[in-house]
Amino acid sequence: MQIERDTRGAELGPNQYEDAEGYIAPLAAGSGPRSNPLGEFPTGPDVGERLPDIVTSDSDGRNVDLHADRDGQPVVLVFTRSAVW
Amino acid sequence: MPDFEAAGAKLYVLSYDEADALADFKKAHGTTFTMLSDPDSEVIRSFGILNATIADDDHPWYGIPYPGVYITDSDGIIVEKFFENNFTVRPGPEQLLAAVRGEEVLLEERPNPVSEVSVDVDFVGDSLPVGISRQIVARFSLPEGMHVYGQPVPEGLVAASIELDEQVEGLVAYTPITPATRSMTLTGDGHTLEVYEGDVVLRLPVAQNGRAMTKDEEGRWVSIAGRVRWQACDSEACGLPEEQTFNFRVPAAFTVMADMGPGEGRVPSMNGATHFQKMTSRRHA
Repeated sequence: MQIERDTRGAELGPNQYEDAEGYIAPLAAGSGPRSNPLGEFPTGPDVGERLPDIVTSDSDGRNVDLHADRDGQPVVLVFTRSAVW
Repeated sequence: MPDFEAAGAKLYVLSYDEADALADFKKAHGTTFTMLSDPDSEVIRSFGILNATIADDDHPWYGIPYPGVYITDSDGIIVEKFFENNFTVRPGPEQLLAAVRGEEVLLEERPNPVSEVSVDVDFVGDSLPVGISRQIVARFSLPEGMHVYGQPVPEGLVAASIELDEQVEGLVAYTPITPATRSMTLTGDGHTLEVYEGDVVLRLPVAQNGRAMTKDEEGRWVSIAGRVRWQACDSEACGLPEEQTFNFRVPAAFTVMADMGPGEGRVPSMNGATHFQKMTSRRHA
């Protein structure tokens, strides 16, 4: 599936760009980190499926197997762009 | 965080950052949830949610996911997920907690059976910061034998819905969360309609982009105004379309921006610029 980038928006002034929903940021909609998909886009496994296995490092460098680590608890798993920027 | 623990859920946050950047973030913000590091975007790819609108030579942005949230039950089965096109808006914790707990516990006991259609509308949350979505919740109680319509609805009938007033600038509505409908086939002409019966809860996530705020002596606030619409019918006849308006005044604020500066003399600081530089050079290598 070819995903289109949403470049709708307007320049309001120096370093002030609004996107199609009226949010204002220093970058134009569709550039660099401000790249949103337009229309349909993949959102991964569906409701009703088992959360896929995740084995990766945590912030301490400890290897975490999510399904073992959650120890029978429900999970809230957030995919975020970056904790740095 | 205590709310997630109280709900018995474990919170994980995954990004393409290096582990040491996440460690600095945790230290700076005092967070206690588990932060997972996916610097080569392997997990993000395995979920199929790599942001494919960013070219692979567009360092350092390449590698980020379409941001979103998955909620599972205690068996690890996904029970709800939250994704919107615009990364700027993210679901508030109330929505995630409601998904963990299951919506039904939010319903108070109702006198049963009810004799006429009633609708309660609430705004769930105590504020509406820029870019954080919270829900308007409409709860229908329908008497035995009555139904309201869901989507898709034939021309001339009104589906149950929550709508924001169009003239309210700066408020944005997102993907409605609705329960499954029941298909009802009419005996007369064989048409199939999608209906709700009994107790029905519709949810509309809303967020504001900064322009909906008014400031007065009590601080910043937004007015969330709109209407719930529906048309109630039984097997014999349909009533006229009805609506109930709402107007919630909710405290509002701008959200905190990421700390990209050196942060000297500031607490907390997470050395954002250093980590950003490191990320950039690693990806150029």
